[in-house]
Amino acid sequence: MKDRTNDQDRPVSVNRRAFLKRAGTVGAGAVVASRLHRPGLAAAQDATVRPDPASKRGGTLRYAVHNAPAHFDVHQSGTVANIGPQSPMYDTLLRRSPKDGQTIIPDLAWKWEISPDSKKYTFHLRRGVKFHDGADFTAEDVKATYERIARPPKGVVIPRTPLFATVGDIVVVNPHTIEFRMTEPRPKAYMLGAFASGWNIIVRKKTLEEHGGNLRQVMNYPGTGPFRHVSRKDKEVWIQERFPDYWNKGLPLVDKLEIYHMMPFSPELGATFLSGKVDYARLLDPVSWRKAKEMQGVTAAAFNQSVIQAFWMNTQKNKALADPRVRRAIHLAMDRHTLVDVVKDTAPMQVGGFVYPFHEMSTPVAELEKKLGYQKDVKPAVQEARRLMKEAGYGNGVKNLDFVVRDVATFKLWAVAIQAMLKEHLNIESNLRVVQVSVWFDEAAAGNFDLAISAIVSTLMDPSDIFSAWYGKDGPQNYSRWTNPVFHDLASQIEREVDDTRRKTMVRKAEEILENDPPLIPVSYEQIYDAWYNRVHGQNPSTYFGIYDVVRWDQVWLS
Amino acid sequence: MRRAFYAAITLFGVSLSVFVILRILPGDPLVAILGAEGHAQMRPTDRARIMADLGLSDPLPVQYVRWLGDIAAGRLGKSFFRGDTVAEQILHRGPISAEIGVLALIVSWLVGLPVGILSALKPNSMPDGLARALSVMFIAIPGFWLGMLIVLALLFWFGYKAPIVIVHFWNNPWQNLQIVVGPGVVLGLAQGAYIARMSRSCMLEVISEDFVRTARAKGLREWLVVMRHALPNALLPVITISGVLLGFVLGGSVAVEQAFGVPGLGRALVTAVIERDIIVVQNLVLLYAVIFVGVNVLVDLSYAWLDPRIRYG
Repeated sequence: MKDRTNDQDRPVSVNRRAFLKRAGTVGAGAVVASRLHRPGLAAAQDATVRPDPASKRGGTLRYAVHNAPAHFDVHQSGTVANIGPQSPMYDTLLRRSPKDGQTIIPDLAWKWEISPDSKKYTFHLRRGVKFHDGADFTAEDVKATYERIARPPKGVVIPRTPLFATVGDIVVVNPHTIEFRMTEPRPKAYMLGAFASGWNIIVRKKTLEEHGGNLRQVMNYPGTGPFRHVSRKDKEVWIQERFPDYWNKGLPLVDKLEIYHMMPFSPELGATFLSGKVDYARLLDPVSWRKAKEMQGVTAAAFNQSVIQAFWMNTQKNKALADPRVRRAIHLAMDRHTLVDVVKDTAPMQVGGFVYPFHEMSTPVAELEKKLGYQKDVKPAVQEARRLMKEAGYGNGVKNLDFVVRDVATFKLWAVAIQAMLKEHLNIESNLRVVQVSVWFDEAAAGNFDLAISAIVSTLMDPSDIFSAWYGKDGPQNYSRWTNPVFHDLASQIEREVDDTRRKTMVRKAEEILENDPPLIPVSYEQIYDAWYNRVHGQNPSTYFGIYDVVRWDQVWLS
Repeated sequence: MRRAFYAAITLFGVSLSVFVILRILPGDPLVAILGAEGHAQMRPTDRARIMADLGLSDPLPVQYVRWLGDIAAGRLGKSFFRGDTVAEQILHRGPISAEIGVLALIVSWLVGLPVGILSALKPNSMPDGLARALSVMFIAIPGFWLGMLIVLALLFWFGYKAPIVIVHFWNNPWQNLQIVVGPGVVLGLAQGAYIARMSRSCMLEVISEDFVRTARAKGLREWLVVMRHALPNALLPVITISGVLLGFVLGGSVAVEQAFGVPGLGRALVTAVIERDIIVVQNLVLLYAVIFVGVNVLVDLSYAWLDPRIRYG
């Protein structure tokens, strides 16, 4: 059989000329090729992951990460506890390159085309791909997977469903070609990012049928990934071995993965890594990370996480908080640099506004820090905040706000600092109510709070994802129950705008609206601290966005 | 029989309390199951379906009777989340927690009893003062804090960390010992402090009794007076308090296991509470209650054996 899909004989390296030539013939490539210097939007169709020529095969990678998921259904999850241990067993249609964590490259689809009107995405699938149970992978599996993600059955809740809201028909053209027909166009970077999300693993159609579409209690369902399940001890270790029939010949490079369960930022994780009991640690606490950085033979990296730390103001329960001037005043009263400092030994953070501060469309940090509310000297911002409070009729402050705090070290530290800032700067008095995570989300969903502090994640860095999930009128994480018709209208235009330059202008305009009528108060943006012994090669997450897209370990090798 | 009846009543009360408390406490188990983002997106129909799947949509009396029926049939149920059964968790993690408990008990007696006796024999001397100060210190210091200090000291001074996964005694005794010795000693020292104080006061009382004076008058050597005549009579209250202290060991093990990173039952209980994994919490709490009540019944029964004057009707 002529194997045109398993691109072993394709050139491994990508030179710019070859890339541009291909990009000229492929719609999606044309859009993204010109932006290769901006990895956030880049895609490279001929950059399938290849083994490092210097690599050695064999060995066991001992990796520590939170791996006690509440269930095993990756599609239904939103936590590293699933992605951390399960990702190596599965593939996605597209993926982010492990080199930079941003460029979109082929995975089970070796090629893709986007129609000029951006309403049809065609994926050409690899041949000869096997699931771990020996079954062949076909377009029917992709269809079943994406039908489930875009339109989950009853009792199945998938956080990424909104990303595929405009996916209409999913058509199997032939066993190795599949088309996604959109009801309306979306920016290509947005859609390709959605298809490349590490959450959207391809599962077998038969598996879904056998379990009534719900895999929450199914620990070992077959994937096509580089590693396959061997054994698992809950809250201890998940052992996986190299899948010998993996489609990407030569990968994975290590024979075995031992994925140890360690809670994020815990001293136990730090102690385990520093004592050399694991080779790679994810989500280290700052103290252990700094210690690791000083150690010889260890590399420590920091990278951006897809999370905003914020507090919400209930606009429907509290009259004062319904007033945009009061919310703007609260926004201005925050000394964000101090808030970052308050938790520096607990979790790594950075200052940011309403859009990821490292996204190319958001206001650059240098510019942001000149604005009120982000400056190191908070006096001008506080002055303006007091003026706004007076103008809104709350010059004497507000009393008895119920401040619900999620029982996590960082939130408890921040809550005390924020409480003091509100009192000192605006004479706003609040009572802290610390609750367990399950209670926090209950209270937030029911609107039983005035102020509530927590963190929320997004799948994509793209502003449209957060504009709908975090700030959308019926957005699932719009806990403030905030509405602003001008913003919602603009967000809807941004979602449809396929021209990046125009889109960027619109995003900046949206930021201005959010600054003046805040739906939440950004506290900071999280960073992730990883560290590994230098015997581990092939993975450096310094430029990654989040911890959910590049967790395959197929390219990693040990010396 | 009467004691068995009281024990059964106590356990029934515990089961009812834990069942009711877990259901009236705020908090939604679906947050842990679906994650924050999934939970925020959940439709009412999804909630109804998932709650029914978990067996949480039935009336409370039905749920309670079903739970008791399951226990009677030897079925301890399944975690809401990862599908592992509570029985599997107990079989896998229980031995580690049990070893820690037994070790703590042994350490508490080995340390507490000699210290208490020596203090009592030389009251208000410097060794007595030192022993009392140390015992107050070990009572006051939280076990999890001491545990964390020990873990950090071993790490930074010796680059040492105990094994990170469960190794059972029958698989590798040396590695197993490394896991249980830290939590066992920390818990044991705190309980040893109580034992020392109790045994000191009991010994002080006993050594001024007539029969001890008689023994000395007979010309018996001092250690024989203490070991053969005074100590057996001073031990009864110490045994009683050991039964009560077991409750502290069980409760303390939850935090100390966490500090040492030992994946025992205590740690499983903490995780289950955070996740609102109701079935796991109620079964583990009941298990702890059964152990506590069972040990205290045994302590009661041991009185009759230790002191022939005591007879139970």
